Amino acid sequence: MRKKIQPYAYSLPALIVIGLIVLFPILYTGYISLTNMSVYHWFDFHPIGLENYKKALLVFDSGFLPALLRTLLWTAVNMALQLTVPFFIAILLNSEGLRFKDFYKTILMFPWAMPAYVSILLWRMGIYNSEFGLLNQWLKQLGFKPVDWLSGDGTAFAACLIVNLWMAFPFMIMMIDGGLQSIDKSYYESATLDGAGFFMKMLKITVPSLRPIIAPAAIMTTFTTFKQFDIVFLMTQQQGSKTGANIHTVLTYAYEKAFMTNNYGYSSAISILIFAIVIAFSVFTTKDLKEEGTR
Amino acid sequence: MRMIRKVLALMLTICMVSINMAGCQGQSSPPSAGTAAPAVSSENSPKKPVTITIWHEAAAEIAKSLQTELDKLAPNVVVKLERKEKLADALKLVGNDPSSAPDMYFYAHDKLGTFAQMGILSPVTDFISKDDMQDLLPMTVNAATFNSQIYQLPVYFETQMFMYNKKLMKDPPKTTDDLLKYMKENTKGGVYGFVEQHSTAYYASAWMHAYGAAIINDQKEPGLNSQQMISALTYHKQFVPYEPKDGEYNTITALFKEGKAHAIIGGPWLVPEVKAANIDLGIAQMPTVSATGKPLTPYSGVQGVCVLKTAEDKKDAVAAVLKQLLKADIGISLAKTANCAPANSKCYDNAEVNGNEMLKAMKETAENVVPMPNFPEMDVMWTATENMLVAINKNNADIKTECDKAQKEALSQLEAMK
Repeated sequence: MRKKIQPYAYSLPALIVIGLIVLFPILYTGYISLTNMSVYHWFDFHPIGLENYKKALLVFDSGFLPALLRTLLWTAVNMALQLTVPFFIAILLNSEGLRFKDFYKTILMFPWAMPAYVSILLWRMGIYNSEFGLLNQWLKQLGFKPVDWLSGDGTAFAACLIVNLWMAFPFMIMMIDGGLQSIDKSYYESATLDGAGFFMKMLKITVPSLRPIIAPAAIMTTFTTFKQFDIVFLMTQQQGSKTGANIHTVLTYAYEKAFMTNNYGYSSAISILIFAIVIAFSVFTTKDLKEEGTR
Repeated sequence: MRMIRKVLALMLTICMVSINMAGCQGQSSPPSAGTAAPAVSSENSPKKPVTITIWHEAAAEIAKSLQTELDKLAPNVVVKLERKEKLADALKLVGNDPSSAPDMYFYAHDKLGTFAQMGILSPVTDFISKDDMQDLLPMTVNAATFNSQIYQLPVYFETQMFMYNKKLMKDPPKTTDDLLKYMKENTKGGVYGFVEQHSTAYYASAWMHAYGAAIINDQKEPGLNSQQMISALTYHKQFVPYEPKDGEYNTITALFKEGKAHAIIGGPWLVPEVKAANIDLGIAQMPTVSATGKPLTPYSGVQGVCVLKTAEDKKDAVAAVLKQLLKADIGISLAKTANCAPANSKCYDNAEVNGNEMLKAMKETAENVVPMPNFPEMDVMWTATENMLVAINKNNADIKTECDKAQKEALSQLEAMK
């Protein structure tokens, strides 16, 4: 009996903390979504049932579907690039006879160490700015006309993508690098003896061995990318400095439509609905992964 | 050995739990010592010093001037000015909690409608009479009024001005048509005749008001697709090709500070930076719109002090603070140390204040400027207006279509607020 209780007893403090920090806000948001908390009823709100949800479903209007599709595109492109490019960088880092390996690894970790808010604004002001940005300075030197990178939908999307990749690569490089270290060298030796070339070895040994190591990191990154708010918001949607590009993701769209109204009941309802979408998405991808794992 | 392990495990668990719970302790204890001293309950009882806590988010010089001025009330009333980052959000959270809320706060007037609607403010007329405020500029008292009650005691105000580089621009244009001509002649090679934040609602409002258009009127009706608005935006669109396309604060101020822009529309906050960049700064009257004969009329922000309902039991102390701030002294001190335009008209009798070119210019515009709407409905108007401006100026969209779209958007957002 004691043996059964002990593990629970040891994990209880951590569970309490998680409950307070993660679970309680979600439940409280759910509660607020059923009330009429707004500027007109800030402290004296009362439950009004599912009224907010009826209103919230109107947000899923003509603007929401493009935002959702754009978010899916954003996630897909990011994950595709975040899994392939760091892989090649990590392989290069692990090449035989590479000097200053540690130095390269240190500077590759740099973007990860900087706070995202600061990085994004630096990219916006320092690189993409239409007058003083680095890219336009180069274009001017080469004799071309400066480009307004953040005001067209396509260029703004690419600009945000580059910044996100810049910030996200260090994590994946680190994960894949660690994974590569853990693969038994003897596999490669026997493959060489059997006459396998570089790409054959990579495809048949490296990739399958890495999969169980990278899978958790990949899933975590997929969710973080799906619910990303800061890049699109800070680059294109900040009030007072909107750039003209409409590359709303689900969260920035909900923010502009609902959170600006100070109607907390309504915004909570939208948050809960987005939460439901993310949960559905997670169940869908985990199922996929489970199937792959049992192969 | 097993016993030691068990005891150790138990102690470590208790430590971890108490460390986690320690974080929660901080919230229940008051962040300020505001309510530590008991309030004076009757006139006859021996006067114990009453502490008044005032939250603010102002710059250091302004806070220092306020503290110096309010220290004059010691020892009966001790005023503690506390800097609170994200003051508006903090007030939303703790506004009605006597143990955490301040007694008063010093902030811009545009949020007072939201707080008054939430029910956390007491009108200042509960503590002083309306007659006491007669020296204040009418525009500032207007800004402080919400639902016919005055919730703020104005101390100083700020508005945008037409600033120019005296070395580059010899004769500031008097009308907007002259300005456009000037821009066409002088904008080349990376240098601009005139720069502004063309797609930001706060600055674009100057053009809108000159045409008699308003983002939202006093009856809380949005006017984004009125005929005057469409005329204003059509006229303004002619200027945009001669200005930096992104119209962002950092871009245009950098251009002006580097001498690459002849003129700029900006606020008093810009002046110290510009002077530090060794620009010979001139301040001129806002050009008049040729078509309507009205000058560019920007929004103004009025900074002042508001009283929270939680300070109701400190009536005398609050009244003392308000009366002290009604005197001309604070206005003159702020004008000298921080270049702020006082709300008290008596301050302008002072030679030093009157001699300050910028302050004089701001006082003259005070008759014309429109204070930012202070009711909660304005919060949603900024987004709709800016989306409209950005689409028209940056994406060359059709003006009438965008105005109608923005109006529809604004109306639905206003509905969503309720």
